[in-house]
Amino acid sequence: MSILSLFQWIQSLGFLTQLRESAIVYPIVMTTHLSCIAVFGGMILMTDMRLLGLALNKYTVSEVVSGLRLWKRVGFVIMVSMGALLAGSEAEKYYHNPYFWAKMTFLALVGVHALVFRPRVYNQTEEIDRVPQIPARAKAAAVLSLVIWTGVLTMGRLIGYYEGYKPDAPAVPAQVK
Amino acid sequence: MIAFAYDPSTNPLNNNEWSFPLLECIHILGFTLSIGTIAILDLRMLGLAFVRHPSRELAKSLAPWTLVGLVVMLISGPLIFSSDPNMYLRNISFRLKMYALLAAILYNYTLHRWAALREPAPAVGKFVAVVSLALWVSVVAGGLFIAFF
Repeated sequence: MSILSLFQWIQSLGFLTQLRESAIVYPIVMTTHLSCIAVFGGMILMTDMRLLGLALNKYTVSEVVSGLRLWKRVGFVIMVSMGALLAGSEAEKYYHNPYFWAKMTFLALVGVHALVFRPRVYNQTEEIDRVPQIPARAKAAAVLSLVIWTGVLTMGRLIGYYEGYKPDAPAVPAQVK
Repeated sequence: MIAFAYDPSTNPLNNNEWSFPLLECIHILGFTLSIGTIAILDLRMLGLAFVRHPSRELAKSLAPWTLVGLVVMLISGPLIFSSDPNMYLRNISFRLKMYALLAAILYNYTLHRWAALREPAPAVGKFVAVVSLALWVSVVAGGLFIAFF
């Protein structure tokens, strides 16, 4: 099974077809996705600013990282579920959209960032709080997090602007028999 | 109704295919910063984060960041509006969004600020925080619904 046929099958699922055709549920799902970006994206921004020593300096790095961790996770789960619903309901269109794949690449980088920096920074906040200067690896984690999440956001917004794929035109030229 | 005698095709925003989406991204980053920092304070008032410090302290630490986010969003927003003002003015979602935005900003710098700094009974603080979150989510919803209704 090709990825395209998988995407076509996803899109044909009953509840995703209903979502695509709903005039009211679709924008509500999108609003939930965007509200999560506002509420929980801001927490990611402020955690990064704390790691850079630019904000919340009255609070220890441990307090900021552990205080917001649960809420960022809750937000991430809601945001990804809503995003999956939106993408799934128009999966075939998304398959042909380069910005969708760019966004997925940035999301994969979010995973790589977590694998690299969780053991070195986010699970070592007490050590970071003990030293007088914020270590370079913590600042690197913050800068990369800002870059990657800005990439996710920008590519996500650009998905809506891509007009290269015309669903009415045949995806492959008809074969001459 | 108010209408502008103005030709949107003369606006540079409408003559470059990248300027509009990039302005939208800046707008989203701006409100992520302002709404995100307000939401962190709301979590504190709800007793769900940073409970070891008073909410007054958190309010003071976050206020400059909230303001930066608001300024970014209040510069990028009107620029987006300028791309087609008469369409926005006719749009019911846009008008509702403007009322919600006005209410949310006034609320943030009056009741919300008072509750964060003066720390009334926890039940009052929680109520103020829930209203704050609801107001800001309604602003986001209003903005998104412009494209649908």
